[in-house]
Amino acid sequence: MAQSNRRASGGRIDRNRPVRFQFNGKSYEGYEGDTLASALLANGVRVTARSFKYHRPRGIVGHGPEEPATLVELDGEDASGNRPATTVPLRDGLSARSVNCWPSPDFDVSGINQLFARFIPAGFYYKTFKWPNWHLFEPTIRKAAGLAAAPAQPPSSGHFEARHAHADVLIAGAGPAGLQAALEAGRAGKRVFIADEGTEAGGSLLNRNLTINGQPAMDWVADAVQELRGMGNVTHLQNATVWAYREHNLLIVNEREPEQGSVLERSWRVRAGEVVIATGATERAMVFADNDRPGVMLASSVQAYVNRWGVAPGQRVVLFTNNNSVYAVAADLVAAGVTVEAILDSRDTVPQEALDTAQGITVHTGTVAAGVKGHKRLRAVHAVSAKSGADTWIDCDLLGHSGGWNPTVHLWSQSRSPLRFDEDLSAFVPDAAAQACRAIGAAAGDLTLDRIVQGGLDLPYAIEPLWRVDVPGQRGKAFLDLQNDVSVSDVQLALREGYDNVEHVKRYTTGGMGIDQGKTGNINIIGTVAMQKGVPLQDVGTTTFRSPYTPVSFGAIGGLREESVLFPYRHTPVTQWNKDNGAVMYEAGARWRRPGYFPKPGEGLQEAVNRECLAVREGVGVYDGSPLGTFELKGRDVPRFLDFLYSNVMSSLKPGDGRYGLMLSDDGLILDDGVAFRLDEHRWMVSTSTGHADAVNQHMEKLLQTEFPDWQVMITTVTSQWNNATICGPRARDVMQALGTDIDLSPEAFPFMSFRDGTVAGIPARVVRVSFTGELSFEVNVAPRHMAELWAKVMEAGAPFGILPVGSESSHVLRVEKGFLSLGHEVDGTVDAYDLSMGWVMSKKKPDYLGKRSVALRREGGSTRRELVGILPGDPNRQVPEGAPLTLGGRKEATEGLVTACVWSVVNERWVGLALLENGHARHGETAHVRLKDGVIPITIAKPVFHDPDGKLLRS
Amino acid sequence: MSYDIQITRQSLNALFDLKGASAAIESWAGNALPNLPDQPNSRTEKEAVELYHIGRDHWIARAPVGQEEALEARLKPNDCPADVSIVRISDTLTFFRVTGSQAGEVMAIACPLDLHDSQFGDDTVTYTDLFGLKALVMRCKDGYELAIEQSFGDMVEDYLARATA
Amino acid sequence: MMLIPCPFCGKRNESEFIFGGPVVAARPDPNAVSDAEWVEYLTIAPNPLGPVQEKWWHARGCGEWLTIWRDTRTHDIVEAPNGSE
Repeated sequence: MAQSNRRASGGRIDRNRPVRFQFNGKSYEGYEGDTLASALLANGVRVTARSFKYHRPRGIVGHGPEEPATLVELDGEDASGNRPATTVPLRDGLSARSVNCWPSPDFDVSGINQLFARFIPAGFYYKTFKWPNWHLFEPTIRKAAGLAAAPAQPPSSGHFEARHAHADVLIAGAGPAGLQAALEAGRAGKRVFIADEGTEAGGSLLNRNLTINGQPAMDWVADAVQELRGMGNVTHLQNATVWAYREHNLLIVNEREPEQGSVLERSWRVRAGEVVIATGATERAMVFADNDRPGVMLASSVQAYVNRWGVAPGQRVVLFTNNNSVYAVAADLVAAGVTVEAILDSRDTVPQEALDTAQGITVHTGTVAAGVKGHKRLRAVHAVSAKSGADTWIDCDLLGHSGGWNPTVHLWSQSRSPLRFDEDLSAFVPDAAAQACRAIGAAAGDLTLDRIVQGGLDLPYAIEPLWRVDVPGQRGKAFLDLQNDVSVSDVQLALREGYDNVEHVKRYTTGGMGIDQGKTGNINIIGTVAMQKGVPLQDVGTTTFRSPYTPVSFGAIGGLREESVLFPYRHTPVTQWNKDNGAVMYEAGARWRRPGYFPKPGEGLQEAVNRECLAVREGVGVYDGSPLGTFELKGRDVPRFLDFLYSNVMSSLKPGDGRYGLMLSDDGLILDDGVAFRLDEHRWMVSTSTGHADAVNQHMEKLLQTEFPDWQVMITTVTSQWNNATICGPRARDVMQALGTDIDLSPEAFPFMSFRDGTVAGIPARVVRVSFTGELSFEVNVAPRHMAELWAKVMEAGAPFGILPVGSESSHVLRVEKGFLSLGHEVDGTVDAYDLSMGWVMSKKKPDYLGKRSVALRREGGSTRRELVGILPGDPNRQVPEGAPLTLGGRKEATEGLVTACVWSVVNERWVGLALLENGHARHGETAHVRLKDGVIPITIAKPVFHDPDGKLLRS
Repeated sequence: MSYDIQITRQSLNALFDLKGASAAIESWAGNALPNLPDQPNSRTEKEAVELYHIGRDHWIARAPVGQEEALEARLKPNDCPADVSIVRISDTLTFFRVTGSQAGEVMAIACPLDLHDSQFGDDTVTYTDLFGLKALVMRCKDGYELAIEQSFGDMVEDYLARATA
Repeated sequence: MMLIPCPFCGKRNESEFIFGGPVVAARPDPNAVSDAEWVEYLTIAPNPLGPVQEKWWHARGCGEWLTIWRDTRTHDIVEAPNGSE
């Protein structure tokens, strides 16, 4: 029958808006305002899940994020896994499936595990699946355990968003305490940010029938929400969970379905002056045999379903408690026409005001529920008197139980603020704050409304703790953690096996892990440990509360960072031209997207690269060198600064001249290579490799600000003030002349390693004679606003000479043919200048510069060095992979070096390469061996230069 | 566009980077510039030339690009004394305007800085983190103006479009 | 994500900064110390459980290199540079 458990009236649902949904392939109806859980209960669906390990049938236990038993996987547009059914708002067309079972929770094939339960104790997996290693078994076990898979597809439309917010006061929770705090702070003009995980404000008041000053408490809530809405200084979010409390009062809030069409979820990162934790309290379970059977629910959840959703989850109810809160539940049930068969109260005496609330209901004092009857459906409760042992079976279809209330201290603890165990409340409560925060309301241990809002009426709490029911002879598992199937006997086993720290108990039994993080059961684990060890709960302590407080989707954490903006990227003004001309683009250092090569139709990488390289060696090519890091340095102390920074002498440079140099770090490693130019007496320009521009900037600023604050050196980053087209090859000068320039290009007037300012093709330019290809090169630097124009003119002027654009693949080949360094290839953090045959760059004259002492110290030891050599594979047509190891004779033993680069040399028409090899400088002409998986390649060791060894061409 | 905003990528500005002690800069280029703002992260303006104080002994002068040559002629970057650094950086920054009633919400996606009136006034200008990049941020009519390193211009435009899609 | 006090800008989000390591002993004159002293200078950095003095670079801010005392147990900044409050 449709919605057989729905009451005729009442509840905060819209009975005029029926909603169709599917659960495990069956169709049901609920109402707008339902959760999946309330709708299933309304439809009389009892068995909604199978348990994680034993596949025991389970029902719905809670009504909010504490739900331990019923996890579902949503299909279609809502696709997501492991969602507690109690936190899934019902909507038309929703389709949900239980996790952990196949084909359905009612008939579950793996249910056979129940029969073997005693063979699957705590630590079973650790003990059983340890050879050869756990990873071999993990995939199968996970599948059998059956937590839901990640959705296969991202949502088809919409996106996630992350944004920042700032508040004087952040309030977590919009129950009575949170709303009251928000009103006070809002009225005082503070910037208030209040967020609550529920779809509606009110917290526990939504579930209860309480009054404030004689009026229904929800009227008070409505007034408060109304007043807050009118305040421009208040941001009030519902359906938004404060899930993380980080250092310096940064909190993260996950807002679901924000009022912003395209935004699926929004992650708020809120920096707050003060944090108010008004997260309420969570009811904890009673621990007794078979306390996981469908039909055993938290008492407050029974109350919530009756009051908030107009659902009677049972018709004949027994309640079991150790405190007063259950008496109000009984009254609400009676008012709703539900029969309360009895209240079992473990306390010997029950306060009179509680009894008055539940008039006409049988109360058994000093009595516990020891066990239940019924497998998929509750049939009776075993009531046992603690003193006399007298027992009776009470027929019922629902058992509501309350083991007391735990202040929801997750955020408090995440702030690093400590907890203390309060004996009167039998709960851990906030102690002194470690950050600018305070807890209020139930989260602070004020568990009744009269202590929170003036005029609020409530029963006193009056708990007498009962950590577990222990009736001799009672059979059946007593669960502490339903989600992970952890029972009292598992904890006892862990303790017997020596895992007696509460953190170890957690990891050995998995109790308190999982989606719910043990919200209903953790304290009972602590209580069980305390009882077993005979120590107070304070001494056992809690496990660490970590974020997230409830599950958060990865999308919300990632925010917008996806697809094209997953990583930052940089363009030059030539990017569009490159794309239009068929370049294969990819990232090449420091986030720059650059052309790798320019294939003609039908051409592969190697053919395109050979063509580009030949153009540079025999005619002319041009590449976009804009990404090189460029800095202008100004001040009286620049010369001595550069002399300290570089290993060679820069201070002797004359205006207009430049010099290649190495920067070392003080531990003697090579930090960067580049060129410094003196523009005039006090102005210098320093260029760095593309990938190290930011690191060099940081390095220079750190030295100047922290080591030499008195030195007069001012640095301006001009990487993006100068773009360049580098024209290189024997015909480069012809192209420059065709472009037209007022600079005298003759080698005498404009030698290698100098620069000239002037115009090129009518554009103001700084032309620099450096070479990274080994050919005659003119680096034509212009402002980016002129770069596209310059590029077009270069291609036009170069056309008669067969000019080709050159990508980064060809640049790599050209520099390897010349034996020029590449940081990250030949320079790997172990290599110094001497290893690279660049001892000349290590100044003997300067008494001190960065890295000098460390390089000397390392070389004093006389240890074997790996030195840069050229390599020629014995078979000229055999490529050696970069990174391949070199071993003595190609034998399986310790490496004596590695191949750093290997390219097809267009000038030598064979493969050539570079390698770092032990004592390589003394081994030119010898044979070494590359050891690969599929064989050994003999190579001839050579000088690391395969083209124009004297450097005549680049100086021409 | 799901947010009520306009995103405008601007054309070139004349920009000069000025470094040195305020007295040294004033004595060299005081006549070419507005009064040097003395409060950190604030700005002054005179005759379409703005001056941003965005770091210790560090200012940026900004003017319409049409004034670039004239301003350079007055600032004389190549002739200034050793204790003053003046460098033309017009091409290094790409400016965007984010305007409209929800400009603040879009800025909150981009930037961790508190842009509330009480914390970020009309004369505030500062470097901060924007989509993980270093960016200059200030107010403009009906919204905010931001500037990032020119080579990231396409990426920030892409990002802003996604944020407001 | 910490709030780091910058002497020029005031408190700013950690994402604007780059960590620059703990403050170590001043760089000795490399020509006046023994090998052991030089190696110690290069390799020994404080790493206490508690307050540590460290450098941060306001890289996505004003460019200032600054020094704070941070408690490694709590992230509390127990001493901020002058002018940052």
